[in-house]
Amino acid sequence: MAMNQQELVDTLSGLALFADLSRPQVEAVAHKMTEESHPTGHRILRQGFTGTGFYVIVDGEVAVRIDGSEIARLGKGDFFGEMSILLGEPPNADIVTTRQLRVLHLGGPELEGFLRDYPPVMLRMLKAMAMRLRNANRWRS
Amino acid sequence: MAELANRPFPPGDYPVVVVGSGPGGIQASYYLRHLGIKHAVISADPLPGGMFRRFPFFQRLLSWTKPYGPVPRDDPFYYWYDWNSMLAEEPQNRALMPDLMDGTSSFPSRPEMERNLATFVERTGLQIRFDTAWEGTSRDGERFVLHTADGDYRCHVAIFAVGVAQPFTPDTPGFDFASHYVDTRPAESYAGKRLFIVGKENSGFELATGLLQWAQRIVLASPRPAKLSINSHSLAGIRARYVLPVEDEILGGGVFFLNASIARIERMGNAYRIHCIKSDTSTEVAVDADEVIAATGFTCPLVDLQELGVEVFGRSQLPAMTNYWESATAPGIYFAGTIGQGVSGMKKYGFPANSGAVQGARYNARTMVQHVAQTHFGVGPSRSRVLPDSLVDLLLTEATRAPELWNQKSYLARAFSLDASEGILDNGIVPLAQFVDEEGPAGVAIAVETDDTGDIHPAVYIRETGKPAIETLLTSHSMHDFRTADNRIHLSEILRGATAGAVR
Amino acid sequence: MRYGAAVPLSTEQKATLLSKLPLFAGISGESRNRLANVAGEQQFAEGQFIVRQGQVGTGLYVIVDGSVRVVRGSEDELAKLGSGDFFGELSVIDQQPRNASVQAAEPTTVLAVASWDLLALLEKDPALSLNLIKGLVGRIRATGEQHRH
Repeated sequence: MAMNQQELVDTLSGLALFADLSRPQVEAVAHKMTEESHPTGHRILRQGFTGTGFYVIVDGEVAVRIDGSEIARLGKGDFFGEMSILLGEPPNADIVTTRQLRVLHLGGPELEGFLRDYPPVMLRMLKAMAMRLRNANRWRS
Repeated sequence: MAELANRPFPPGDYPVVVVGSGPGGIQASYYLRHLGIKHAVISADPLPGGMFRRFPFFQRLLSWTKPYGPVPRDDPFYYWYDWNSMLAEEPQNRALMPDLMDGTSSFPSRPEMERNLATFVERTGLQIRFDTAWEGTSRDGERFVLHTADGDYRCHVAIFAVGVAQPFTPDTPGFDFASHYVDTRPAESYAGKRLFIVGKENSGFELATGLLQWAQRIVLASPRPAKLSINSHSLAGIRARYVLPVEDEILGGGVFFLNASIARIERMGNAYRIHCIKSDTSTEVAVDADEVIAATGFTCPLVDLQELGVEVFGRSQLPAMTNYWESATAPGIYFAGTIGQGVSGMKKYGFPANSGAVQGARYNARTMVQHVAQTHFGVGPSRSRVLPDSLVDLLLTEATRAPELWNQKSYLARAFSLDASEGILDNGIVPLAQFVDEEGPAGVAIAVETDDTGDIHPAVYIRETGKPAIETLLTSHSMHDFRTADNRIHLSEILRGATAGAVR
Repeated sequence: MRYGAAVPLSTEQKATLLSKLPLFAGISGESRNRLANVAGEQQFAEGQFIVRQGQVGTGLYVIVDGSVRVVRGSEDELAKLGSGDFFGELSVIDQQPRNASVQAAEPTTVLAVASWDLLALLEKDPALSLNLIKGLVGRIRATGEQHRH
């Protein structure tokens, strides 16, 4: 689906991760990150590989796989790669496209600076992580 | 009426049709011919050169050719120091660029680059049907039909090397008062004028740099601040050679940067008033100028390919492609030249490859054509056998010397299959992402990579049959010669495990 | 310290208590002091609920003195916590409903940090936010939770 810059900014504004940003801030994010397209069956994140980037899904779907078994699916608005980058360790799962995918990409080394520049995005990410940990540790809320 | 000899490839049926006569089309045609694949090459232009017939207007190219590199010009590794010559199998057709440069710079001028491409076409005897614009496309069963004013071309495979040079101008009211970057006139014609350039990417900065001593005042406007490549430690962003306007702006020399979007442009007598909305405060500001230039970018002139099912993405409307630069949604349609930048590859640490530039695109074209030849016409690569004892040396030498691996780091790799029954076979240069993901037969590939500290080192990828590849990084060397004892030992260990001891 | 004879905690003592939470491991001294400044002491009699299941989480709690029972439903006792233990450190961030109740098993003093105070602090202190994210990321990996990475 063809999409010009304004439509991209509109789409990003609707994603939870960027929900607390002003429009000029969303435009800045759209400018800072790079749009990429990946066909079906592409690995975007590779288990054990160095140099991971940070990705936000604009359109499409991916499967999260560990040693070949699928454990989750991610779609529009979801993000991934940040754990590897922040931990400084390679990913522990593969992320494979299940259909044509459009993502925004940010190079790993730029993530921390990006989060510091956009505290609302960092807070959203923090909240998402708290929820993930909560799901792993049932009652320790 | 041109002689028949000047107009090869009359309309009709061909196995492959290549559209475009810039570096992408030229390189693709060369290798199609080398592999014996019959094909037609059509181009809307009257002469070869592609975008280099017109751009850049000012300054030199951003890709270098060092006439006096560290290796002789007939050494295959010389291509690492010559980013502008076309690839050729015959030594006499390689490294044409350095002889055409006047020696005042290691970056060729536009006319020198144009002459480089024309000379290559001449020397290799490549045939191109000029003045034949591709105007439309349709399908006829399994084949594609390309419509031109001279008639229809039918083919099984179409390769579009049409560049990303179609001017893009926003819909905003008043933009018809602006001229686009592509219509820039000779510098002197801007003497004494107040200029307003919309856009702060390389094309806008190229104009600002070239017109610095002519214009009375230059305003560059776009919603976001300029990204400088020296800050991103890569080729992404404004290149160093266009940084003069930045210095001028800092010192108050008559250049102004505005972080604003354009609301509308109105005519005021002989001049124009541009109404802008500042990005940070959303307040309006009006600027007057004698000329407005839209350096607002380019898109890919894909004519009606979207109607055929080619999906596009991004600001430049590039096609969504597979690792082999084939349309991800319309099989049989391939792309060569700068369009290949739409295939991101691994982009480790955020570094893009050089697929948008000549030095990367030329290897992509060769690899793409080899894939087309094999997949569509059964013309396989001749895969030579490698002795187990020599594999380690071969891999490390490739990493040290192969220009493909150096020009396209983390993007192209040299691959070998490690099938126990067939022995070790050389698979040549492959897209790295394809090798690591395809879960094919057992194999090993080596690439050259950089990390966020700037360290350049080999990366080895081992694949067991049916599984995705595993990455191992080797160590760097101060003079970039990776054939160190440590690397030999490490690589031997990995390969011994992967080949059950066949390689030591 | 016992209920009724308690001396209010100093900022330094609060900072020390809070720094024991895994969530706040590795934060700067300055950030810790800012946290301590927004933390308040609360006291509960035996049987009183400190938080209730289903309530939208509004704070994290560190037990200063006394003990509590973590209960799901009416009777399901999941755990007992004592001095130095904590709970609510995830709710304070994601403000999700509590999935268990916490009831004082004896007179108990807790140190509480309200959600809105912590979030306000995080907005002003990106370094603290980044620290918290890194900490959580590490713990997600450690639990073997595999949804993302």
